[in-house]
Amino acid sequence: MTTRVLNRKMTPMEKFLLAIMAIYILVVASQSPKFFSLETAFDLARNGSGAMILALGCLIVLISGGLDVSFAAIAIVGGYSSVLLSRALGVDNLLFIITVAVIIGALLGSINALIIHFFQLSTLIATLGTASVFHGTMVILLGAKTFTRADVPQSMLDFGAFSIFTIKEENSQYGLTIFFPIVVAVGVLTWFLLYRTMIGRSVFAVGSDPESASRIGINILRTRLFVYMYVGALSGLMGIIYFSGLAYINPAALVGTELAVIAAVVIGGAKLTGGEGTILGTVLGVVLWQLFQNTLVHLGLSSSFNDLFFGAVLVFMLGFIYLRQRQANKRALVFTSN
Amino acid sequence: MNKVFKFLGRDRDLSILGLVTTAVIVVLYLMLGSRLFSLGGLQSMSIQVSEFGFLALAMGLAMLIAGIDLSVVAAAGLSGVMAALTMSGKFIPITPENESQIIVLGVTVALVTGLLTGLLNGFIIAKLSVPPILATLGTMILYTGIGTAITSGSSVSLQVPSFAKLATSTVGPLPMVFVMLLAAFIVVSLILTRTRFGRKVYLFGENEVAARFSGIKSERVILMTYAMIGILVGLAAIVIIARANSMRVGFGESYLLQAILVVVLAGFNPLGGKGRVLNLGIALVLLQVISTSMTAFAFSPYAKNIVWGGILIAVMGMNHYLRAGAPRSRRTEPPTETVAIALEQSRR
Repeated sequence: MTTRVLNRKMTPMEKFLLAIMAIYILVVASQSPKFFSLETAFDLARNGSGAMILALGCLIVLISGGLDVSFAAIAIVGGYSSVLLSRALGVDNLLFIITVAVIIGALLGSINALIIHFFQLSTLIATLGTASVFHGTMVILLGAKTFTRADVPQSMLDFGAFSIFTIKEENSQYGLTIFFPIVVAVGVLTWFLLYRTMIGRSVFAVGSDPESASRIGINILRTRLFVYMYVGALSGLMGIIYFSGLAYINPAALVGTELAVIAAVVIGGAKLTGGEGTILGTVLGVVLWQLFQNTLVHLGLSSSFNDLFFGAVLVFMLGFIYLRQRQANKRALVFTSN
Repeated sequence: MNKVFKFLGRDRDLSILGLVTTAVIVVLYLMLGSRLFSLGGLQSMSIQVSEFGFLALAMGLAMLIAGIDLSVVAAAGLSGVMAALTMSGKFIPITPENESQIIVLGVTVALVTGLLTGLLNGFIIAKLSVPPILATLGTMILYTGIGTAITSGSSVSLQVPSFAKLATSTVGPLPMVFVMLLAAFIVVSLILTRTRFGRKVYLFGENEVAARFSGIKSERVILMTYAMIGILVGLAAIVIIARANSMRVGFGESYLLQAILVVVLAGFNPLGGKGRVLNLGIALVLLQVISTSMTAFAFSPYAKNIVWGGILIAVMGMNHYLRAGAPRSRRTEPPTETVAIALEQSRR
């Protein structure tokens, strides 16, 4: 069933990302022999899982022709409110916490969809507005108290510490977190929804041309509701994963990371104008970003250099893709931008 | 009187905005009175609006040519950091004799860095045809990255005491920084309304393809506009370091949302070609008055976020419904060929 994904030709973006990643890994590995270890891979899997979930949601929004900057706020609102609810009710159950967070996320996402649809707003501006409204409302209603380890629900602590398998060494042990299979599951689900269901096709169609899509009978409102609710639900899930991994709950966290997630998806080849984007590209984009975020220490560079590398690669790749597009347009006598 | 009505009738955005602003000011005056509208209160408001005003004006310029500049705050941060490093005495020792030269050098560094960030944005957008939102998303991360790498993320303090006077000195009753902002608004307004370049900016924003076919060198318009944005960003950085007497990357991150908000509120169309500097000034006044009075009422800063986000959505929504004859998607017509092709492609 998955052969088709594996057999399809890689897009130029994907090849590029792979090349950059290969060069980077070779350089780092030559500098630091410790880099090539399962420990590094497991660390990456742990640190990058939240970003990967958000990115998969973001991919769907970009394919639908939108741009959502509220998902980080939704992740925090969903995660924080469900932890508070679990503490207030005394229900220390992971399934309950996740369900509540996912439902809250989906509800907030549906608000986004309704505003975008009925006001015909630019999705960036609408979600900029809702992001601050969501986050502000949460803080006003629920407060902005941080919870340290002692106050985090036990089920979340267990969840954050759980490994599917552990490797013991003489004086250390490390393992692959439970987050990894969750991320894989989310990836497969997203792939299935996008490429194997009618609603996924509608997302592509709406992203390519909303007017034409509505003429062939695609319900634009329903498609948008699906897109933004799916992103919201994933964000809620990510909120719990994030808090569980940190074992520390801070309602001001994550704010400001949304643009970096979008950037990671964009270098994976998703077009801002909609209708284009691949899961593999997104995965590669996030992995490259996470490599820069987490492994520069192996080169002896401090974490202050994280954004510099990622930003430089981003600007370079964007310039490259669009320059090619521009030259193609020139040859074909296309005068509109993009 | 008739003339006034004629003038107001010509620009609906201006009339609505002016009316709302007047109403808000009157209501707040009745509620807060001299707490807000004393000389000291007005002065502190005008100082607060200054650093943000430059960034909002920069964002407005970007929206005039159908762009957006997500990098303004990051670029201002980088310019501020470079200037602060120059004036920190780390590289050039500061003595009482060379202090004024150092200040001139620092200000120049801020302006040049700002200009360079703007030119890089302009180059990527004009010469490589990257959509503005993506180009500036990339450079936003890049500028933040450069700033963080230089400073290791820590704050850089200034060691030139006389520079801080810029933030406290006044021209008559007006704070110096506010005079700078006013001057910037007037200059930009004159450029936009009285020069050929300004005309081209509006034409380009209205319809890029048509502008190109009417002989406007569109790449130059983009480059020059982003260069102007860069200079405004440099000015913002100067005001910020004068007031804070130090600079760190990440300063004023919340300004990004506010800048977009205030520009949209002022009637600038994100799709380009529409917007007046005068309206932007009024919108800035409105935002600042609301913000200061919310502090006076002792609301939390998060409440401010709700109000701003709410205003943004409300204004955009209102604009949508006020727009005469806004076309809605119809659903009765048969599928077109393009979407059939799109569907076919997505299936592959």
